[in-house]
Amino acid sequence: MIRNARKDTLIAYVLIAPFVAIYGLIFVYPTIDMFILSFQDAPLITFGPQTAEWTGLDNYTRLPGDRRFDTAFWNTAYFVLLSVVPGTLVALAISLGITRLSGRLQSLVLALFFLPYILPVSVVYRIWDWTLNFQFGIAMHLFDTLGIDRVPIFKTSTWFMPAVAFVTIWWTCGFSILLFLAGLRAIPAEIYEAAELDNAGRWTVFRKLTWPLLWPVTALVLTIQLILQLKIFDQVYLFSIGGRPNDNLVMVYYIYQRAFQNDDGGRAAAIAVVLFLMVIVVSVLNFQLLRLAERKT
Amino acid sequence: MADIALQNVSKSFGAVEVIKDISFQVKQGEFVVFLGPSGSGKSTLLRMIAGLESIDRGKLLIGGRECQALAPGQRDVAMVFQNYALYPHMTVRDNMAFGLRNIGMKEKDIAARVADAARILEMDALLDRRPSQLSGGQRQRVAIGRAIVKEPAAFLFDEPLSNLDAALRVRTRVELAQLHQRIAATMIYVTHDQTEAMTLADRIVILNDCRIEQIGTPLEVYTYPASRFVAGFVGSPGMNFLDAEISTSGKEAVATLGDGSRMAMTISVPDGGAYELGIRPEAVQVTTGRGDTTGEATVVENLGDRTLVHTRLNDGTSVIALDGGRSQIAPGDTVTLRFDTSQLHLFDSAGRAYHAD
Repeated sequence: MIRNARKDTLIAYVLIAPFVAIYGLIFVYPTIDMFILSFQDAPLITFGPQTAEWTGLDNYTRLPGDRRFDTAFWNTAYFVLLSVVPGTLVALAISLGITRLSGRLQSLVLALFFLPYILPVSVVYRIWDWTLNFQFGIAMHLFDTLGIDRVPIFKTSTWFMPAVAFVTIWWTCGFSILLFLAGLRAIPAEIYEAAELDNAGRWTVFRKLTWPLLWPVTALVLTIQLILQLKIFDQVYLFSIGGRPNDNLVMVYYIYQRAFQNDDGGRAAAIAVVLFLMVIVVSVLNFQLLRLAERKT
Repeated sequence: MADIALQNVSKSFGAVEVIKDISFQVKQGEFVVFLGPSGSGKSTLLRMIAGLESIDRGKLLIGGRECQALAPGQRDVAMVFQNYALYPHMTVRDNMAFGLRNIGMKEKDIAARVADAARILEMDALLDRRPSQLSGGQRQRVAIGRAIVKEPAAFLFDEPLSNLDAALRVRTRVELAQLHQRIAATMIYVTHDQTEAMTLADRIVILNDCRIEQIGTPLEVYTYPASRFVAGFVGSPGMNFLDAEISTSGKEAVATLGDGSRMAMTISVPDGGAYELGIRPEAVQVTTGRGDTTGEATVVENLGDRTLVHTRLNDGTSVIALDGGRSQIAPGDTVTLRFDTSQLHLFDSAGRAYHAD
């Protein structure tokens, strides 16, 4: 068949046009607007040319001295530290266990571990509030019988972030497990048989074969987790209810406060830009570092 | 290097018995080929020797040592897999050294062994490459090298040539034969390709339906197949089979074929009656003189040095006959066939074979 190249190109443009239009309208345009907004003193509710005022870099220069920004920044970093690497290791360990099972049992166990992932965050919050609530939580009764003092886990800043990180790992590791399982299945069984004949013990097999062969998947899981956890908001918001939100601030929560509670669109946009750059820099850096490490092994 | 003995070995997967009471012995330095169709249990048997499948009943002796309960690494065997099973993230050197490092050998000795193997297999230049940078044939060499460095009691090959293209397969086959002559090691080789079996083996073990059909040298298996199955499986093109009525008197017998033609032969069968008559294509000559029967040529395959003439007898039976390289026969021609009655075989209804003298 002779094809008309001009016509093909035209059809291609027509076919992608709806996507480009929607993507531009609800992603590109707001993003550009956010950058513009971050240089203005702009209340959100009455936002418009008549109220917005250009303030240059003011919104940015105020950030280093902003105590709440400081809290949000370090809490986010702390949360990422507590959730990304431990969550990845937990998912790896569980998937290594699941891959040893076979048939229906494997599917069943996988389904059980994946189940939390399909829950909405409000349900996750309810489950763990019922479990860890200071007054009514099931775990507190367990503490009582064991003779341990009750801990108001979500009301103390020492326990808040570790507890939210734990709940987040429980909630999201099903997806990582799935990725790891796919990676493990891609390693041919014959390689393990060859290793058996090569006198490799279980630890050697993991260290010299499974770990390096699974590394690309591990890098992917780490990067996905990193981006996801930098954007932490819902869990912190829900668990902070009735607690101490200003001590538990994370970046997105602070943006929410500035934008929708203080009606300060300009400063919220500035924080959002900082988070945006953080996500890009950290994830690109992360991915490059992981690739470098891969080339060395 | 050692001899290997299987004594009354059996194995089941659940309720399905896949190896039924097999016994045989591989002599030291011998090249034994397990030949059989898929599902015959040949690969399972090899994997049982390697230790990758358990042995349910019976004994496995390698060099006189009972091995059926030992881990694969402790049996002192090396295996070359069908898909090579190289460690993709390691260099060729590390692939070969991996097994030696696991038993705590000194790096200096490892380097010497790897260098030796690389020299034998002529792959010195490849040592620092990764498997993904190698061709199929080179990967095959690395897999063999990984076995050689271990200096095992026996080499086990699981259809090692089946992933290579036709030309490379022939070349690697010759190299394997040379390798065996050079290192004179005990080798067990699994294949479904009867050409590989015929060319490589000192002895062939023919497996069918989880049982041994025959053990013998390539020539024995080819000339005196023990059963109808072996006769049909070994040889290319395959043996001709024709229905025949046999009447006997002592060592003499007369066969009547389906098209009414008769031929006399010297053969010892217990009774007359219905048999299957087997004869290889090279024992059926196209002749211009007096023949045993005639048929119509349906397909003529000229191979240059010889010509295979596919014919159909009057009763519809197909027979492949042999003619010279410059055959003038065309499809549709009527040809006269002469059977070499000294190369006839008869098979009874149970598949037992009787050979003409």
